[in-house]
Amino acid sequence: MPLSTIAATLLRGFGTTCLIFIITLALAAPLGLVVSFGSMSRFAPLRILTRAFVWIIRGSPLMLQMIIIYYGPGLLWSGTALPRFSATITAFTINYAAYFSEIYRGGIEGVPRGQYEAGLVLGMTKTQIFFKITLLQVVKRILPPMSNEIITLVKDTSLARIIAVREIIMEAYSFMAKGLISPLFYAGVFYLIFNGVLQVIFGKAEKKLAYFR
Amino acid sequence: MAILEVTGLNKSFSGTAVLSDVGFSLEKGESLAIIGSSGSGKTTLLRCLNFLELPDSGKISVAGETVFDSSDRSAVPERELRRRRLHFGLVFQSFNLFPQYTALENVTLAGRLLARENPGYPRRRAELFAEIDENARALLDSVGLISKLGAYPHELSGGQQQRVAIARALALSPDILCFDEPTSALDPELTGEVLRVIRSLASSHTTMVIVTHEMQFAREVSDKVIFIDGGAIVERGAPEDVFGNPRHERTKRFLERYSG
Ligand SMILES: Nc1ncnc2c1ncn2[C@@H]1O[C@H](COP(=O)(O)OP(=O)(O)OP(=O)(O)O)[C@@H](O)[C@H]1O
Ligand SMILES: [Mg+2]
Repeated sequence: MPLSTIAATLLRGFGTTCLIFIITLALAAPLGLVVSFGSMSRFAPLRILTRAFVWIIRGSPLMLQMIIIYYGPGLLWSGTALPRFSATITAFTINYAAYFSEIYRGGIEGVPRGQYEAGLVLGMTKTQIFFKITLLQVVKRILPPMSNEIITLVKDTSLARIIAVREIIMEAYSFMAKGLISPLFYAGVFYLIFNGVLQVIFGKAEKKLAYFR
Repeated sequence: MAILEVTGLNKSFSGTAVLSDVGFSLEKGESLAIIGSSGSGKTTLLRCLNFLELPDSGKISVAGETVFDSSDRSAVPERELRRRRLHFGLVFQSFNLFPQYTALENVTLAGRLLARENPGYPRRRAELFAEIDENARALLDSVGLISKLGAYPHELSGGQQQRVAIARALALSPDILCFDEPTSALDPELTGEVLRVIRSLASSHTTMVIVTHEMQFAREVSDKVIFIDGGAIVERGAPEDVFGNPRHERTKRFLERYSG
């Protein structure tokens, strides 16, 4: 087997991996914020419902959620299944939005109420307080847990092969049938590089915000 | 005319009365000390003055302008509420400086944001900001922190942080500056520098309402004293009278406990 074939196949798989990662991040990050507002709502029914939802999503395996989302519609009400890739994105987005929402909530609730009140007595509007005072403190607080979660997301993308989405591990695994194990190691290297880059980016961001406490 | 007039202020939290029929007035340039045991409602009173808490009933006026009146049910627009709020300044027990800003930026931030509402803002921006900046430097100098302009709150001691907080409150030139136990969160050796700043404000006739557990300080610095117990004013008068010759049994007992 020529190395170029292996490389091309792995790169294609890596492309899919990256796509799952980027789309999930782009959707789950804002959705998580909406969910966190729900879980902090003063309207009790909304708060309780949101927290129950978050509890269920965080308390059960992502793999199970993917299986339900992909096979569920067909089995439960003989509907048409989502395409594999869309099912993957849907499951990942819901799952990560739940995790992100808890991180956001922790970050927002962690900013002392006195910060908000100090802004108020200085005649600031709520919007000014949010953008000029609260936001940066929240970002600083959530950066370490977010970077952990995002690195986990990179690795979790490999779960997509459960419903036969051809991400990098699945592509690498396909060479096993031909007696080749090295592609799996190469796949591992892709992950290491990807996460290495992310770690550098997050490290830089954390350093940038280290000037205050 | 009194600069501050509070009448019939009541506030309860879930059925428990925390302020009952509180009323007092303050002349421009005077300082009022509010003393009372823990849980007597002192903080709640200051929070009502600063619109952080909504009184159940009562009236508050500043220099003849009614800024709060529970019998007036018409909604106050946010902009107007913010304007009224600026009659008062509040120095918190726990400073509440903004950690991501330097001492100087803490003092200038609110002023710069308010400047945007100035009609000539976009055009006169540089000029307005320069004024705000200069004023802030002068204030930080007056509280002894000219060498700390660029320091972030975590780089400052508690006493220094509280002095920045005082400068920050003064920057908006409030008519009445309120202090909520400004030295309670400080190590004993740091209280002196903060009390000194407040003393000098008193001698330059800044109108102040000071909640404090420092009885000696209250006695020296105030023109009037109020002793509050269980949310009601029990005794009021000149510091010599309230401290030197308290009339009420409750005041006597309280002062005995605090004259440590
Ligand atoms: N937001 C709130 N909700 C419910 N109860 C409150 C609230 N704020 C204050 N209280 C209660 O009101 C009472 C008065 O509180 P306040 O903080 O005004 O007392 P204080 O005189 O400032 O006491 P301290 O000297 O300990 O600061 C207390 O019993 C307190 O528990
Ligand atoms: Mg208090």
